[in-house]
Order: sequence, then C-alpha cells, then structure tokens
Amino acid sequence: MTLNEKLKTIIIEELNLEDIRAEDIEDDAPLFGEGLELDSLDAVELVVQVQKNFGVEIKDMKEGRLAFQSINALRHFIEERMAP
Amino acid sequence: MQQTDKQETDNRQPRWSSRSLGTRFGHNIFHALIHLGGRRLGYFALHWVVLYYVLCRPSIRRRSYDYLRHRFPNQSRLSRYVNCYRMFLEMGHVLVDRAILGIMGPENMEFTIHGRQELLDLVANGRGFIMLMSHVGCWQVAVSALNFLKIPVNLLLEQAEGNIDRHYFEYAGVTCPIRIIDPGSYLGGTLQMLDVLKKGEVVCMMGDRVFGSKKSCLQVDFLGENASFPYSAFKIASAAGAPIVVFFSYKTGYDSYALKVSKIIQVPEDLGRSGESFRPYVTQFVNELELYIRGYPYQFFNFYNMWQ
Repeated sequence: MTLNEKLKTIIIEELNLEDIRAEDIEDDAPLFGEGLELDSLDAVELVVQVQKNFGVEIKDMKEGRLAFQSINALRHFIEERMAP
Repeated sequence: MQQTDKQETDNRQPRWSSRSLGTRFGHNIFHALIHLGGRRLGYFALHWVVLYYVLCRPSIRRRSYDYLRHRFPNQSRLSRYVNCYRMFLEMGHVLVDRAILGIMGPENMEFTIHGRQELLDLVANGRGFIMLMSHVGCWQVAVSALNFLKIPVNLLLEQAEGNIDRHYFEYAGVTCPIRIIDPGSYLGGTLQMLDVLKKGEVVCMMGDRVFGSKKSCLQVDFLGENASFPYSAFKIASAAGAPIVVFFSYKTGYDSYALKVSKIIQVPEDLGRSGESFRPYVTQFVNELELYIRGYPYQFFNFYNMWQ
C-alpha cells in the first residue's frame, strides 16, 4: 500500500466518511472546504491520526495550511519530517 | 400559555448572532453617563431603557421568550413581561459593569474566585487547559480576572459585522490583554488552539454557542427539552490532552462578582471523530449550566432558540 493509499484509508476510516472509497479521493484535490466536506474538527482528528500513525506533528496553523492542501501535500509533509 | 409563547417566537432569528441589540448612539449615551455619574447613574438610566425595550420593542422582547419559556414553563403573560424585564436589566447591569471595568478600572469591582487553587494546580502541571464558559454573568469579568495565572490567555471570539458592544479593554484604551482566536480563520482556529494548549496556555471559549457546522453538535437535554450544544471544545481537549474547566461568573451584588470553577472535566484521549463519544462530557457541562441557571435565572443571556 502506498503512502497516499494509507492516508486515504485513514481519512475514510477515522473520519467516518460514508459512501466514499479511496479511489474517489483525488491526490491533488483540496482536503478541506470542498469535495470531501471535511470540517475543522476533522482537521483536529487528522492531526491526531498523523501523529499516531507516522509520529509526525502538525504543530500550528502554518504547518496545517501546508499539509492539508491535498493528499499529495500531506504525503510530502510526512515524508520530509520522517526522513532521517 | 406555552402555546402562545411558541407562536410569538415564530419570527425569531433562526441562528445566534453576535450582533448587538442596542444602537451605537445608545451605547455612547451610556458611556457618557458612566463618565459623569459612575455606576449609579448608569444603573438608574438602565431601568428606563429596559422598560422601553420590554414595552415598546416586541421584536427585541421576543428574543428572550425561547429561554424564558423553558426556564419558567408555567409563567403567565404578566410574569413573562416581568421575567423579560429582569433578564434585560441584568444584561444591562453586566454591560454597564463591563464599561466600568474599562473606564474606571478593576479596583471598582470586587471579585471572589472560587477554585483559585485548582486553577493554579493545573498551571503547575504545565499542561494547557480549556476554560469552558457560557453566556452567563459577565464572562469578560471572568477573563479579566485570570491575570493571577501568569500564563497567556487566549479567547475564541467571533466579532460579527454590526456588533458594536465594546470590550472592557477597548473602553480602557489599552492593548488587548488576551489573545483573540477568530473562529472564522483557517479551520475555525482549531489548529491554533491545539498549538497554544500544547504550549501550556489557556483557551477560553463558550460552551453554549454553535460556530460553523451543525455536524459538530449534539442534542442534549437542557431545561426539559433537547438543545444543540457543540462538542468542539471536548474534541480539542481530547486531542491536546488538556482538561476542561467549567468556569462561570455571576453578579453577587451592586459592585461584586463571583467567579467559580464549577467542574473540571477530564476528557480521555483517542475518542475518535464521532460526536457520540463526547456525549457524557458535553452532558456534564450542560448539567453544570442548568444548575447555574436554576440559581441565577436572569443571568443567562440567551437571545436565540437553542432548542430549535
């Protein structure tokens, strides 16, 4: 499973998204504001899940803006911080 | 009678708004009166203004009916007017006191804090905490009295267009002593709140107002009927590992307020995204609020239908 696929699975399962499959989520589509209709509390849960699953902390709003642009952006954010 | 109340509230606003009830002109007059004659003159003028609103401004009067109908289910038409008058008068007292706090300084107000040591103990733990308040008493007095904690205090505060109420620090003409987090900012300010809580700071927010999506609300029994309460604070507390302090203020005398740590709620981590996981904790808050309202019915300043 690629990192993008893992992220999509986490989003669907942990944010309780109904009637959405991993292949419905585009890699470059915005995570918030449109499409998936995620809200601010979904963002809080996503912060928790990223830390829990990858040990990566999204510390503030600036980092959140960067990481939550899309699945690709989130993958980049995690890979950068996990790199030795 | 309840049926009549219900009919009369049909024209109510569908959602809460922070728009002021009064006019800028009216606020300026009170500002001038307080400068001239202090609290006594402000309170005296208030009686006439409140009487005008209760008798001559039915659209304003009706905004109190949803709450009063739930708090006083057996009220007669006359007692509804009296209750409305008392509620508006208390609201006016709080607004005058808030102005006095800024214009004449906190030395003109007497505060008693119940639970001071509990708050200091939380600070000593080095973890941030959420102070969950409500639109009761004078929450601005409560926030202004937190200096003794000696840690940064943040406040989630929406300032809607058309809101002309001034905060105590604006009257005083000083820099805001608290940091404002705007719920209209990116992701509702939630990431900012997580950040400051992890740094060991305090976040003050209201537990009885719904900002944004109804998806983040639970229906909880409040004064005999289900009402909407947000669980956002509890979700953030769970994510940050921060306790929730239920903190209420109430006016106890002519120039005195009491501030009380009503309850400290520990929300477990890893509760997930489902709102139902937070129901027991939201219910604890609502029960504390109801207890307060049973004791101080006219100090709950609710002007929208939260039971809708």
